[in-house]
Amino acid sequence: MRGGLVLIGLLLASVLLSLMIGQVMLSPVQLWTGLMTGTGPASLTLRVLRGPGIATAAGVGAVLGVSGTIFQILLRNPLAAPDIMGFMSGAGLAVICGIAFGLSLPLPLLAAVGGLLAAVAVAMLSYRRDAAQAGLTLILVGLGIGFFTSAASSFLLTRLSPQDASDAQRWLSGSLAARNWGHVTQVFGLAAILFVITALQVRALALLELGDDLATGLGTRIRRARYGLIATGVLLAAAGVAVAGPVPFVALMAGPLGMKITGARQPGGRLFSAAVTGAIVTVLADLAARSVVPGLQLPVGVMTGILGAPYLLWLLAREMEAGDL
Amino acid sequence: MKQTIGLCIILLIAIALTLGIGVRDVTLMDMLQAFIAFDPTNPVHVVIHSVRTPRLVAALVAGAGLGMAGTVIQSLTRNPLADPGILGVNSGAAFAVVVGALLTGRSDSGWMSAMAFPGAALAAISVFMLGGGARGQAGPVRLALAGTALNALLLSLVSAIVLARNETLEIFRFWVTGSLAQADVRPLAGMSVTAAIGAALALLLAPRIEALSLGSALARGLGTKPARIQFGALLAVTLMTGSAVAVAGPIAFLGLLVPPLARRVAGHALRRELLASAVIGASILLYADTAGRLILAPSEIRVGIMTALIGAPMFIFIARRLRPGAST
Repeated sequence: MRGGLVLIGLLLASVLLSLMIGQVMLSPVQLWTGLMTGTGPASLTLRVLRGPGIATAAGVGAVLGVSGTIFQILLRNPLAAPDIMGFMSGAGLAVICGIAFGLSLPLPLLAAVGGLLAAVAVAMLSYRRDAAQAGLTLILVGLGIGFFTSAASSFLLTRLSPQDASDAQRWLSGSLAARNWGHVTQVFGLAAILFVITALQVRALALLELGDDLATGLGTRIRRARYGLIATGVLLAAAGVAVAGPVPFVALMAGPLGMKITGARQPGGRLFSAAVTGAIVTVLADLAARSVVPGLQLPVGVMTGILGAPYLLWLLAREMEAGDL
Repeated sequence: MKQTIGLCIILLIAIALTLGIGVRDVTLMDMLQAFIAFDPTNPVHVVIHSVRTPRLVAALVAGAGLGMAGTVIQSLTRNPLADPGILGVNSGAAFAVVVGALLTGRSDSGWMSAMAFPGAALAAISVFMLGGGARGQAGPVRLALAGTALNALLLSLVSAIVLARNETLEIFRFWVTGSLAQADVRPLAGMSVTAAIGAALALLLAPRIEALSLGSALARGLGTKPARIQFGALLAVTLMTGSAVAVAGPIAFLGLLVPPLARRVAGHALRRELLASAVIGASILLYADTAGRLILAPSEIRVGIMTALIGAPMFIFIARRLRPGAST
């Protein structure tokens, strides 16, 4: 409980920090007057310049964090995350296809279809009769699907007109530039629906974590519960990808980091702390992406890539030390 | 013997296709004449000399180099999913090219290739070490994840630099779209020699690498020094992949495709396997390049994309067949 409050405090602090820092520095007092009176420079910053981007970052981080944690609990492996296993680059490929073939479908739908197709491909291709090492096969096959979809994306990029290609390239590296309140509504709307669906499945997730035999014994229909959870996880990742592009490593990092801070062990607590931690990570990464190079907004995915890759390497070293990998 | 002849015929056909197919189709007779009796006023001969031969040489260097490097690294790590691309050579090269252009402002292709080489080499060594290679534990999952992490880091840094400094964007675009098409402006001679030195080193060390793959205790008993052999093999891999990246730009997964085929053709003697890998690697790259030029003619599909689209399914196929209990 106390850990949860700490996390929420951290989130508020990072949002405040992110609102204050930029080309024009604002004090908390200025922000408060801007919020209350609706006039002055702070008001413009809140309404147009920084507000929507930061809100989108928080929403994207939250859905990605929950998505990663669902897979990490389900597969009992800290490496299982939609970005490692190719679901996010599948969603990205679908969106690039949409741009390349001029499909006028909404981005979330495209991203969801792409993510689900990638997940189905990973599940089918990694199926094998002997269950030993199924988790590792899953991760390797996921990496392979990721390689394939990225190759296909870069192929399509070469077929686009230069203008479309540079937009698509920017989108593919995970960008929060020029987001408006429409993006905010979209990601929070989808997040609200999907979080409710996740909450309904928390009990099944807790039982599945205990192992298939025990879960069956306790009356879970494991196959159905697992498919439901996988679908929810993929849709959550797709909701994030649709708004911000395939932002790497947030889904991978949020769960374990959140667990460290709150000490939560139960799936419910882990999902909650992952959502808040994902939001914090993405808001801070967005802040760094805006302010590292003055006068230039880098894609947020560049920052999460720079922060996340050392984490993945550390995780790898630790797993090797423990002999789990 | 039969296999050797078969491989050579396959390679010769690939060479003939590369020289023959293009905007202007060339007959076999023209090809021979262009090399035996070169006539500088004959446009066909000029095309063969100045455009298609450099392309062919680049493909031979890159294909043979990546194929042999793949076989060495797989044999060294006993890991059927090891591949120079997974070791991060391509993103290492891209990073070095962009940083080099940023620091010096130079953008000529000779300079870029010179930067690509150390970048590729450093990335390969880092991933090998991070993936547990020094302790002889570079299993499939570890190496693939260490490579993924380093790739993500380097490519993030590359996009940060490219977006921050517009002048590097053009250089980078030239570099990533680099394929065999720009072979004539790359430093072919120097890189061919470098790759040849790497190949010679690999062939020389082959019996010892084989001894090492039996396990380091047994290798020590047979009188080899594991650390020294590993260093030598890694040096050979770096020389070959570095020059491949420098002449052909980023080419993924060739080192993954070649070794299983080479093993099937040459059996389990590493030296024979290496020779077969060189021929098979060069042939695959030439056929992929020719296919990439034909499928969407008159525009080209970059050969690096072709090999990735063929190689990624192969990666999944091999991942599925890994035996449970095998070293991860």
